[in-house]
Parts: sequence; structure tokens; C-alpha cells
Amino acid sequence: MYYLGVDVGSVSTDIVVLDEKLNVYDQVYLRTKGRPIEAIQRGFKQLKNKYKDKEVRAIGTTGSGRGITSFILGADCVKNEITAHAMAGVYYDKEVKTIFEIGGQDSKIILLNQGVVTDFAMNTVCAAGTGSFLDRQAERLGIPIEEFGNYALKSKLAVRIAGRCAVFAESDMIHKQQLGYDSADIIKGLCEALARNYLNNVGKGKDIQPKVFFQGGVAANIGIKEAFEKILGFEIFVPKYYNVMGAIGAALLAKETVESKRCKTNFKGFDISDHVFITNSFQCKDCPNECEVVRILDGEVEIGCFGDRCGKWNQKSHIKSS
Amino acid sequence: MVVTFPHLGNTYIACKIMFDSLGIDYVIPPLSNKEALRIGAFHSPDEICLPFKIMIGNYIQSIEKGADTVIIVGSCGPCRLGEYCELQMSVLKNLGYQVKFIVVDYPGEIGIKELASRIGYISNQSHKKKIEKLRALYRAVKAIRLMDYIEQSARMIAGYEINRGECKRLLLQCRDRVFNESDPSKALKILKSYKAKLSKIPIDKKRKPLKIAIVGEIYTNIESFANHFIEDTLMDYGIATYKSLSPSWWLKYTGLKVLKLHAVRARLAAKQYLKYEVGAYAKETVGEAVLAYERGYDGIIHLLPVGCMPEIVSKSILTSIAKEKDIPIMTLLFDEMTGEAGYLTRIEAFIDLLERRRRDHVLSWR
Repeated sequence: MYYLGVDVGSVSTDIVVLDEKLNVYDQVYLRTKGRPIEAIQRGFKQLKNKYKDKEVRAIGTTGSGRGITSFILGADCVKNEITAHAMAGVYYDKEVKTIFEIGGQDSKIILLNQGVVTDFAMNTVCAAGTGSFLDRQAERLGIPIEEFGNYALKSKLAVRIAGRCAVFAESDMIHKQQLGYDSADIIKGLCEALARNYLNNVGKGKDIQPKVFFQGGVAANIGIKEAFEKILGFEIFVPKYYNVMGAIGAALLAKETVESKRCKTNFKGFDISDHVFITNSFQCKDCPNECEVVRILDGEVEIGCFGDRCGKWNQKSHIKSS
Repeated sequence: MVVTFPHLGNTYIACKIMFDSLGIDYVIPPLSNKEALRIGAFHSPDEICLPFKIMIGNYIQSIEKGADTVIIVGSCGPCRLGEYCELQMSVLKNLGYQVKFIVVDYPGEIGIKELASRIGYISNQSHKKKIEKLRALYRAVKAIRLMDYIEQSARMIAGYEINRGECKRLLLQCRDRVFNESDPSKALKILKSYKAKLSKIPIDKKRKPLKIAIVGEIYTNIESFANHFIEDTLMDYGIATYKSLSPSWWLKYTGLKVLKLHAVRARLAAKQYLKYEVGAYAKETVGEAVLAYERGYDGIIHLLPVGCMPEIVSKSILTSIAKEKDIPIMTLLFDEMTGEAGYLTRIEAFIDLLERRRRDHVLSWR
């Protein structure tokens, strides 16, 4: 018996398979590339031969693409990323008080007290410090993103880089490059700037208590982890499955939902990878709201519809979350 | 003369009833929408806040339909909003539109004489008798109070309704029907009938839904488009929502201000945290937050447009209220972005937070 969790983020799509004892049994990492449905299908194609439909007891989705994928997969639980990350963090360590989550497009801070979320925040107007920004800078410096953190560790002196805003950080960095500073020093400077930006922006006014978990794709960057530790003055923990914590949380939540409702899973099966899904969107002209409605078709059959305010279109497919 | 006015929640319903009674030609701008925002954002100064942009969009969409006179309320600068009319006049003038602005302002600022002459200008356009004119005003006030009452109750009852979505459907239907009725007395009758219908919605009194209070900047509170229809979203989740701000609240507030008896309870509640006026309705925001705590709400959502100075002040005060009173407060900032995902994630996570705090799964009935 397995529990599936799917996290469809802006940059990556992660699928995890938890076994009966809730250990991570399998995981798939894919690039979303702006096409969540295709990413999901590619992912399930990889899993198809290893597992049987009957073995799945529950499935949950999370991430910014959770809505659309829940229709395709028949998810039992559709939850936002904050709850999913908190769930997974608490599952691995009940003592965790703060979770830093930095993903491809957004960053979050979650504060917990005895395993219950008490406060959270997301980045509002600035994307500095998120994965896509780091990706771009790594590319500019000609360093593979996987190596980024190690470079920072090589440096002894961080170059000061403005971290207030992604655009300023970038132009500051180019300027320092042109002056001939060592790449390692610039990278270290960048890591520190991003950590500062995160704490001033997302973590503004929040009481950050240890133990801190650092989750999300950016947690792979050891340079940023170290920068956080330097500023905060205590150790930051990167959980083993830091990059799929959202998906793990979704799987745990799905398990909880199915067990509390004592129902069977709605999972549609692994062969969804062979189906042809078409989405078409149109502007509803029935009122001045002019909602952009998205319709998902499985071949000829409409399986979901959303984007409308009044509920006229999505009546059949109510939001199941919350 | 063909008058128009910017949207502010349900005011268009009252204005329609008033102008229908007065027999004055009017154009109601299409309900605030993405196109209005696009037009408004394109023609407005970049740093100005969201209300300004949507209002400009409203004007231009009305002018294109033949309006030539804009009526707005000014309230002479509690914050930037009070100075909007001047800037908006020059924006529209630069675009080559020939429109007259009539700013109905607080008599304390412009003098009763000036106010009388401005209102006189509007009233002279109507050929009805004086008594008819007074009746028109009376009907408008009555309509807005009824409509606001219906909306406020529907949002609260939504937490208790047995047939999911009934309150929301009733509210949308009510707005739609009143708006399509051009006979003022029939329109009022429709409102009254919906008030009665609302009280007959089957509810489960034993249910304990999550209760959320909405506070913050007045425009983003009242004009649903500006806050991405947050209350409708909360209704979908089966949450009982309370919001004190509404056009009728504003009417009462402005009327009582002359006697210095405006929003007494909220202002007294705020006193402990904010003694001074910092502009706009920041003090009321703080007060409402404290009152929401005292009334036993589970959480508070604070709304403001990016760059709103008075609400930035109250935002930092709300942080300490949240800590001292141990009540979750979430602040949502609104700007030109029309993407929903970020807001939905925050709202959902906030609901989860409140739910888990309560431990018993009140929403598990879904």
C-alpha cells in the first residue's frame, strides 16, 4: 500500500511515494516548464510499471498547480503549500519551531508552536532569493547551480551586494564582476545578501526560534544555509528530503483525509499518462466580471472547470480543498 | 447632463435608485473589471494606489458610454484619496475628455454654502418637485442600508447555511434583480423581499463555523474587485465573515462626525493602541481589530492597497495586537496583479491555521 504526494510548483514538479510506514519509497523530480499537465503525465509514466493502481491508498496534491492536477489525478486532498510544508516538517521533527521554505518562485516562512502553525508569511513584491533568481545568476557566472553553494564556501571574504531587490542585486553583482572580484567572493556575497533579504522581507517582524528547518529547492545551496546561520547565530537544519517536503506533506494530508472520512481513494490510476488532456480557456461574457474560465477535457469528457466567480461553470467540480 | 460616478461596493444600486427617482440621465460604469484596471493603470501615475487606478478606469468606461459629469465624494484628504479628484481631473483633461467634476465634500472643509451650491447644481438638473427630490434621497439611503444589510447578513449566515452556496446565490441574484429594475419603488420592494428571503434560509445554529473579521482600508474593503472578491472566496469555504465597513457605515460615520460621535466604540477600543489620528480610517481599523477579538472571532484579515500610508501604520499596530491578544491576523496587500494563486494560497493557509488552532474539524462536514 502506498500514499502518493504531488507538488506541482512553478519550476519543478515532485512526486513522492510513501510506503505503509510513511517512509519515502520513491521520488520523481521533473521540471514543470510551464506545462503542469505534461509534467504530471511524464512523472506517472515513470511510475506506471513499478506500481499497481490498487496499491494506492491515497493521493494528495499541493503547489501552485494543485487545482488543475487534482482534476487529472483525482486527488483526495488538495492543500496549499504552506500547510503541506508545515505538515511534513512537523512529521520529521515535532520540535521544529520555524520553517524556511524557498522555492522556485516564492519564499515562505512558517512559525509553529507544538506542531500547530501559528503564523506564516510569503514574499510579496520581490522575487530576490528565490530559486529562479539563483538559477539566472548561476548561469550568468557560468557555474552549474549544483556547485553554487560549494563556491560560496571556498570564499573567505564576502563581497557586499545589495539584497533589497533582485534587479539591484543583479546590477550590483555585474558591477563587482566587472571590477574583477573573485567569483567565489561574489557568490558568497550574493548568498549573504539573499539571506538578509529573506529575513528582512519575508521574516519581517517574525520571532524566529530554533529549531529551524530549511526546506525547498534552494536548501540544496549550502552557501545560503551558512549565511542564515551566520546572521541568526544558531544552527539551521536541512531535512533529508528537503526538496520534496511539499509532496510528502500532501501525501500525509491525503492519508489523513482518507482515514478521517473512511473512504476509498479517488485516484484515477497510473494510466492517466496515456490520456490526452486538453485545456481550453474562454472569457465568460455573461457579466462584467469577464472571468477567464479554464476547462479541462479528458479526450471529449469535461473533467473540470474553474476560474469563474459565480460558480456557474465549476458547479460540477467544487473546490475540494480546505 | 449625463452623470456618472466611480464604483464603491453597492453604492451603484443606491445611486441608480436616486437618479431614477430624480429623472436625471446617468451612466453606471461596468462593474469594476480587469479592463477598467488596465485602462486605469495605463493612464495613472505609477506610484498612486490601486483605488485611484480602478476609479480612472470606471470614469473612462463611463465616458465612452456618453457620461459628461462625474460625481464623487471627496472628504478633503483624510489620506491621498481626498485629493484624488484634483489629480483625476487633470488626468482626464490631459487625455482630452471634457468632463465636469462635482465633488461632494465634507461641509467642515468647504463650507455649507459651497456644498449647497454643488448639490444644488445636481438637483437643478431634475425637474421634479422638491418633495420628490427629498424622497429620492430618502429612497437612496434606504436602498443602500437595505443592500448593505443583506450583504452583511448573507456573509455571516454563509457559515451556518445548510444548503451550501445558498447565501451566495441569493446575494448575487438580489444584486442582479435590483440592478435590472428601473422603477425605484419596485426596486426597494425587491430589496425588502430579499431581506425576508434571507431570514428564511435554513441554517444550522449548532454549527460552529470559523468566524473571520475583515478590517482595513475602506476602498479595498468595500469594492470587492479590489480585494479579489475575498468575501466570496471565504463564503465558498463556509466561513462566517464580518466586515464593518460599508457604504452605509460611511454615511453614518460622515453624518455623525459633525457631532463627533462617529464610530465611538471602535475609536474607544483603539485608544489603548493608537491615541492619535493618523489619517483615513487607521484608528477605526485598529479599533475594529480589538472589537473582533472581544467578540470572539477566530481570526482577522487586514486588507490594504500597496502604498497606503495610514494602513501601514495600523498594520504595525495589528502585529502587536496579534501578539498580546493571541489572535491570528493576516495582512493582504493588493495591487495591479490579477493572479489569484498567491492570494488563494494565503487564504487557504490562514483558514488551515485557524482550523488547526481549534482542533475540532468544524469544516469536515464538506
